Amino acid sequence: MESALGLFDYVDELANAAEKMKSAGYYVEVFSPVPLGHELEPILGKQNNPIKYATFFGGVSGFCFGMVLCLGTIAMYPLARGGRMLWAIPPPLLISYETTILLGVLFTLAGFVLFAGLPATKEHLTPEVSVDSFGLYVQGIRRGGFNEVEKILTEYGAKEVKKVEE
Amino acid sequence: MDRKPEGLSYRGVNEDIINFMTKTGPKYYLVLGFFILCSVFLYLLPWIHQIYTGQGVTGLNVPVVWGVYLVNFVFWVGVAHAGTLISAMLYITETPWRRAIARSAETMTLLALIVVAFFVFIHMGRPWNFYWTFPYPNQRKIWTSFQSPIMYDVFAIGTYFTSSLVFLYFGMIPDFASLSQSTTGWRKSFYKAMSLGWRGTDRQWHLQAKASMFFASFIMPLVVSVHSIVSWDFALSIVPGYAQTVFAPYFVTGALLSGFAAVILALTVLRWTFPMMKKYILIHHYDRIGLFILVLALTWSYLTGMEIITGYFANTSDEIQHITYKILTYPYSWLFAFMIFCNTILPLVLISGKVRRSEKLMFFLCIFIIIGMWLERYLIIPNSESRKFLPYMWHSYTPTWVEMSITVGALMVFISLFMIIIKIFPVISIFEIKEDVGVPMKKEGH
Repeated sequence: MESALGLFDYVDELANAAEKMKSAGYYVEVFSPVPLGHELEPILGKQNNPIKYATFFGGVSGFCFGMVLCLGTIAMYPLARGGRMLWAIPPPLLISYETTILLGVLFTLAGFVLFAGLPATKEHLTPEVSVDSFGLYVQGIRRGGFNEVEKILTEYGAKEVKKVEE
Repeated sequence: MDRKPEGLSYRGVNEDIINFMTKTGPKYYLVLGFFILCSVFLYLLPWIHQIYTGQGVTGLNVPVVWGVYLVNFVFWVGVAHAGTLISAMLYITETPWRRAIARSAETMTLLALIVVAFFVFIHMGRPWNFYWTFPYPNQRKIWTSFQSPIMYDVFAIGTYFTSSLVFLYFGMIPDFASLSQSTTGWRKSFYKAMSLGWRGTDRQWHLQAKASMFFASFIMPLVVSVHSIVSWDFALSIVPGYAQTVFAPYFVTGALLSGFAAVILALTVLRWTFPMMKKYILIHHYDRIGLFILVLALTWSYLTGMEIITGYFANTSDEIQHITYKILTYPYSWLFAFMIFCNTILPLVLISGKVRRSEKLMFFLCIFIIIGMWLERYLIIPNSESRKFLPYMWHSYTPTWVEMSITVGALMVFISLFMIIIKIFPVISIFEIKEDVGVPMKKEGH
């Protein structure tokens, strides 16, 4: 199997090429220097968002951590002073509020890193896609089929098509 | 009035930011050297002197045990507020003008929080024992008390610092990838490592947008909670002047007011020092932030009135004494009047669009607001402790040269850190500016 990377200057041309390649049965991936959600969603389809599970888990575990920390402290180190209630409600809630956010943020970051495939050691296919070009990465090309893909991508406006061996 | 950067290309944006970061003239190093020297002489050496000699070199004495250091602590937490708020709130509301200024504001937040953390250590009599505030199993048979507002503070500011750092770094990942492709030497290796191998795939951008929204949603309530909790360091006590139910919204509003003023100061210095920045930081930004400042100044003024009126209506001898001391007793009466001039009367000129769109007027106005907000904290913190319940304990507080030197030195530290950071990390978000430029389409009206 081979792969091809077509470089485009314009996003509408890239979107048309992506649609064509996808309908032809290839697996396509887009590289871009800016997010292209709105432009590509109708073609590439709606993507799922697994980060929300990490965020939810982080938030819940953060809340529990804050509660356990405060209530555990009251149980293990009772410090009655100033006539204050030992088992007061506001302090654990306040601490839990902060730890909910803290672990929520950290787990969101961890979820992002995990699901975005980072850290990755793969080299950039071409540096232009992080500066001012848009790349359409076509995978699953049968051996000898590169020229046909190259021709289609060029017809759709690709300024350059590269054969990629990953 | 320009609302978007114009005449820019994707490649041009990359080149501008890289040139800004890499092409540094000798003048820049001279100025940086000057600020570092000031930091050493005004901040580091007086602090060493204080550690060596003891807290006696400060003006702190019973009953005033919270002085200028905690004024600075609250002030710098306030400065740290606007950065993350600009980023998070305007991200959630999809406000496009945030893109050019959010990164520099977020950087300010992080650096201001570093200054904040050091003021806690400076205030501590024995800073080497700072780790006693962390709850972890130990053999000293002491444990933190979660009923203390000071512990709320440790968690709130710790969370704020961590979240701000994550938010700032996370937003930079695509920019690091972009920079790693266009730089050489140590920068290339550094940016490549920091980019974590980001490739800019549609999947990665999709997840980036989702995670950004989660971060923004977490950070918005965090911004409010942090300064509310800082206010409870005071409001949960029984000291007249501290025990105010209005303090949480009062402190949050004041923090945002000083934070937005600080953002204007930083943006103006960037525009004046680096003419290239005028392409990105636009007069439109001044206009929008000017409106925020106007609304915040009016809200702050209302809450200041409420703080005094509720104290007056309480009609207890201690509250009346505190208000009299703060508002009518020389020299605080003058400081109070000047604070009102800075934070209530002067900001009214922002009703005029011409003033909001004048960078010079905005710059000088914001200097006054910053001074006014520092005074507000000064009038609350040591002044309230000066007049507690028992008259035989009354004692007026005057900061010593050590405290004032460290106060000015903290500003020098902040400027030095800012000057270093903007040369290493992209102070303008490259990919977001490219979003502002627009997605290139061949067909018109596509």
